[in-house]
Amino acid sequence: MHLPNLFLADLPPDAPMGPALVRDACLAVKRNRSHWLALRKTQELVELLAFNAERWLTPDFGFRQQALKQGPAETGFGAGTLARGLDAFFRAVTVESLNALLTQELGDARRLDEFSAPAGELRQGRMALARGPDLLVHVAAGNLPSSTLSSLLLGILTRSAQFVKLPRNGTVVPRLFAHSLADLEPKLGSCLELATWSGGTHDLEAALLSEADCVTVQGTDETVDSLRTRCPRTCRLLAYGHRLSFGFVSADQLSTYMARKVASRAAADITAWNQMGCLSPHVIYVEEHGATNPEGFADLLAQCLEEREQNEPRGEIPVETAAHLASRRSLHELRGARHAAAHSEAATMPRGAFFDAPLGGTRVWASTHSTAWTVVYESDPRFQTSCLNRFIYVKPCRDVADVLRQAEVVRGQVSTVGIATTESRLPELALQLAHWGVPRICPLGRMQEPPIGWRHDGRPALADLITWTDLETA
Amino acid sequence: MSTELHPFAGRVREFITRTTSLPVSPELHAEFESLALELHHLQQRHNPVVRDGNADRPKGGQTQLLTEVAAIPTAAFKEFEVTCIPESERTREFHSSGTTGQRPSRHFHHGDSLELYDTAAWAGFQRRWPDLRPPEIFGSLTPSADLAPHSSLVHMFELWAARLKIRSSLFWGENGPDGWTVPTQRVVESISALQNPILLVGTAFNFVHLLDDLEHRGCRLPLPAGSWVVETGGYKGRSRNVPREDLHQAIATRLGVLPIRIITEYGMSELSSQAYSTVTANGQPSARLQFPPWARARIVSPESGREVDIGEVGLVQILDLANVWSAFAIQTEDLARRQEDGFELVGRALRAEPRGCSLQSAGPI
Repeated sequence: MHLPNLFLADLPPDAPMGPALVRDACLAVKRNRSHWLALRKTQELVELLAFNAERWLTPDFGFRQQALKQGPAETGFGAGTLARGLDAFFRAVTVESLNALLTQELGDARRLDEFSAPAGELRQGRMALARGPDLLVHVAAGNLPSSTLSSLLLGILTRSAQFVKLPRNGTVVPRLFAHSLADLEPKLGSCLELATWSGGTHDLEAALLSEADCVTVQGTDETVDSLRTRCPRTCRLLAYGHRLSFGFVSADQLSTYMARKVASRAAADITAWNQMGCLSPHVIYVEEHGATNPEGFADLLAQCLEEREQNEPRGEIPVETAAHLASRRSLHELRGARHAAAHSEAATMPRGAFFDAPLGGTRVWASTHSTAWTVVYESDPRFQTSCLNRFIYVKPCRDVADVLRQAEVVRGQVSTVGIATTESRLPELALQLAHWGVPRICPLGRMQEPPIGWRHDGRPALADLITWTDLETA
Repeated sequence: MSTELHPFAGRVREFITRTTSLPVSPELHAEFESLALELHHLQQRHNPVVRDGNADRPKGGQTQLLTEVAAIPTAAFKEFEVTCIPESERTREFHSSGTTGQRPSRHFHHGDSLELYDTAAWAGFQRRWPDLRPPEIFGSLTPSADLAPHSSLVHMFELWAARLKIRSSLFWGENGPDGWTVPTQRVVESISALQNPILLVGTAFNFVHLLDDLEHRGCRLPLPAGSWVVETGGYKGRSRNVPREDLHQAIATRLGVLPIRIITEYGMSELSSQAYSTVTANGQPSARLQFPPWARARIVSPESGREVDIGEVGLVQILDLANVWSAFAIQTEDLARRQEDGFELVGRALRAEPRGCSLQSAGPI
């Protein structure tokens, strides 16, 4: 499939790029927006976005096929992993879910079209109109394409012209998505611009920031801080910095029957996007005193990750990343061997019947002849950040309060906690997590499947784009 | 315990002395491998960390293949006491100079192991400079051993100066809050007064500090003709990372030294032997590093653990016969390209996760 040169990002990498070109592109999308996009009705856009999402879910859709063909080489995700991630994203985009999002964020799905209000506001003699930014700029992160697609989608709902600055290793999927929208409606395509240049090209970024009404940035804390200092005062900045996530399994989910299912769900979360996202778990905390102990759970998890590797291989990673993984693995293996030796010297009691494992300490399960997956069980309950690419820690805990004490070091940086527990325990656990500051709690197995209305880092992503006009009639 | 290691160390010392000036050959390889396997079995008996690290290997560590030996990761030297030397017999500790705040690697020594260290280090130097006319002056940008008692690098520099019988050796470096600093003014004054060649040594970050300072002052500091420079790699976050070629170019320009006389040394506190940069067949300086016949670098794939093909990149694993009393097989976090007869450093293992996420130590057992 040959993509026409609709966007700056479609041009060859050595095509000249200057501040004047960037500025002209911004003016062009703003102009096109005022002539067409600004005049659309919300429902029209909802239906267009939902229809496009449906197309992306069909196997013979040209743009999808192209994404799965070219995406792996650029992103480093295998075709299977990429397909799973894209499916999870597009499945969440339906007419119902988009309308639910609008109602959730704006109080009323008509707010972008006309002065309107839910009943409570009307009774107060008030209505409101919501307006999105004229030009919405996104500085996209390198790791997952789904977050860029989500930003684009929200900006279309707010009827904004959009300019996405893509990282060099993250152009294929966003470009194909933008092309698929242009394919459906060329006038919508003309309100979008995608471009790529190396980070830190300050004159290009300055041109972009000077035209923007609102900027979203996803990335490392350094990227966010740098942009914050250069963003004009008149421009609204929505920043999403570094976040990480973890899982929690309560003791009542650890019967012989349940434990394997839960391990399988955890494996789904660990392998989604190769664990490279903010929503991916670094650690799975497992309550002690279940029928399966945390080390036994780690063993089940290793089996599930090996199965996943057969069906959805992680794929190759750069040698320096593999080197770091291998170094961590060998240090943990050595710790495990040291601990096992120390315990076997001291042991007086017979081994349990189930598995002849060391009592506590460290234990490593790993894919053979590759760094494809690694499970490290550590009896040390302190939170440990993972080196990712399917490298997971399993740690024991007494209860959720214990976990939160051990995770104090990352408090404020946590995005999602994936939980496996009973319906009756969930409210109490969720409350504890919420008071500690967790912005998203979901079932284990669904960590990388946030609904379209999820509050990103605890913020309402769509509502944060809006400027309101209040109309008081009484 | 040490009754076995002491005579073995004697055999290693004999091997080092005999092969100092010999070219590599299949016979030398075979002798190296035979000694290495013997050392491996000895270390499994006397070094609990090596014993445990090899516990799950094929044949329980009684292997006859060097490829089956489990190399000890350098990170393990931070957490464990990787040594055959009982606590009561240790007289010296070399530490890695990692980022401040983290526990450093510790390599324990006693009189015998230091003697072997000195033998290996001096033989390595002689091998690299067989025809060196000892310069009049020895100058190091590092502090002296008094100020840096745990630095194997400084110990080695003082060894060179002593064995070269250089009467005038200067160690200009000072200890600062963030590590070693170079007092540029004093260096400038000392070197400007020189008439005769100097052997000037230091870490790569020492040289970066000096060169940056000289650039800031807008001046050059030409060394007398016939001088040599040895930089030992290693930025360790103390200075900006300057590619080797650029560093050598800057040294050549600002210190007036021919590139052929600027040598890279590669070593670490966890080793006793060093590798040096080489010269191509037509006499050009080369980034290719070589160990002497009593040590060997294997470049291994982080995926398979096997040695990579020539031209491919992998992790540097070092087998060092001079490490009799610790672990002879060391796994570093350096990346290198394997070459026909040596290796070239290309970088380090890089974490994909955000910075500031160091590994929790489980503490020594």
